[in-house]
Amino acid sequence: MVGQLHQAITEVEENLSRLLNEVKSLRQYIEYLEDENINLKRQLCAVSEADINRIQKNASKIQKEAHENLEKLYEQGFHVCHIYFGEQMESNCLFCNAFLRKD
Amino acid sequence: MKIICSKDNLLLGVNTVQRAVATKNTMPILQGIRLRTEGSSLWFEATDLEIGIRCNIPMEVQEEGEVVLPAKLFSEFVRKLPDTDIILESIDNNVNIHYNKSNFVINGYDPEEFPEITEFTSADIIEIPATIFKKMIRQTIFACAVEETRPVFTGILVHVEKENISLVSTDSHRLAHSKAMISDNDKEFKGIIPSKTMQELLRLLDDNEILTVQYNSSKIIFKFGSCQILTRLIDGQFPSYKQVIPQSCNTKLLLNCKNFLDTVERASLLSKDNYLKINNVRFNIEDSILNVNQYSEMGKISEQIEIEQEGENVAISFNAKYVIDVLKIIDTENIIMEASGPYSPCVFRPENEEDYLYLLLPLRN
Ligand SMILES: [Zn+2]
Repeated sequence: MVGQLHQAITEVEENLSRLLNEVKSLRQYIEYLEDENINLKRQLCAVSEADINRIQKNASKIQKEAHENLEKLYEQGFHVCHIYFGEQMESNCLFCNAFLRKD
Repeated sequence: MKIICSKDNLLLGVNTVQRAVATKNTMPILQGIRLRTEGSSLWFEATDLEIGIRCNIPMEVQEEGEVVLPAKLFSEFVRKLPDTDIILESIDNNVNIHYNKSNFVINGYDPEEFPEITEFTSADIIEIPATIFKKMIRQTIFACAVEETRPVFTGILVHVEKENISLVSTDSHRLAHSKAMISDNDKEFKGIIPSKTMQELLRLLDDNEILTVQYNSSKIIFKFGSCQILTRLIDGQFPSYKQVIPQSCNTKLLLNCKNFLDTVERASLLSKDNYLKINNVRFNIEDSILNVNQYSEMGKISEQIEIEQEGENVAISFNAKYVIDVLKIIDTENIIMEASGPYSPCVFRPENEEDYLYLLLPLRN
């Protein structure tokens, strides 16, 4: 009888220690994830307001340059509309005009 | 085949189908008009494979049959026939035409070779009053491109959505847009119809007729009176035109159509026959006066028209022909002109008529 009880307690002990080990490894994993999260947040914050402005400015500069180039192309007598793009133009084109006006 | 008919009936048939006869040197058979009896009537048919026209005229049929005659010779001969009973009698592929005590033989083609202008059955039928459709064609057809690397511009976009119908045409320098209502229609159709077909409808449709339109995804048949016109739809996407139409303007003018037309026509006399193809006319709009001051090696013109003006002054140049085109088809007394500076498209519309607009891009000087 006492022997059986001993046996049972030993089993419970073993089960508990296995569970404990699992909990420990889970905690490690959570810590790793937390660290990674903090790292990522830090990286994001590293892009400063100034950087964002610079990127946006650059994008609109490129856009403006592209638009100016298209306008130049149109002035030189080439279509910039999707219908005739790049073809030589006779006098003028409603679709080019609408395209350049819209931007 | 043997038929007895009048000169007028022959002439009517020939005149109706003649514009569908092939003019380019394609298959010789396409340069012919097919005559084929059906009951006590004769079908006249011609096709260049892009457009086919058929017309049915009652006459006395003594012997059934069919022939294909060279269109040019046959039509010229019919025009010169005396006004008397005429007998057409086929001998193999040829036709003996008897009139008074004379006769004329025309050598024809083998009718077996003539392409069938096949009707197709379609559940989709739209009925449009001829007066409405003809007006819309007249308001748009002149803005189609004549020769084009983009075939979609050589036709008129027809868009039917239930009771609304609209026709749009453009050659990329100008755009014409006409709208109307047709009652009792629940069908939808969108297709580009070759301007040649539209021109034929304009020529052959009588004002009081009802035009029946049958269509599938690639072809369309127009039926009216004793005529049928069958045509292929133009392949391709019509450009989205709504974004081209300006929604506001800086200058709004009201002009008398006739005075304006006369002025532009007079001014354009000076720029005709110049080396440039473009017939440029420049308007200086200043404080309710439209000034035209133009000179060329031929002479000089200076005109002033009183107009109603709202908004800012503007100086603007157009291809005179494009202005004349729209002024000729507008049947209201006055025309509204909406401009936004010398480079943006200008909108022309008849006074008190919301259903039509013409968009014209100024010339850049
Ligand atoms: Zn263009």
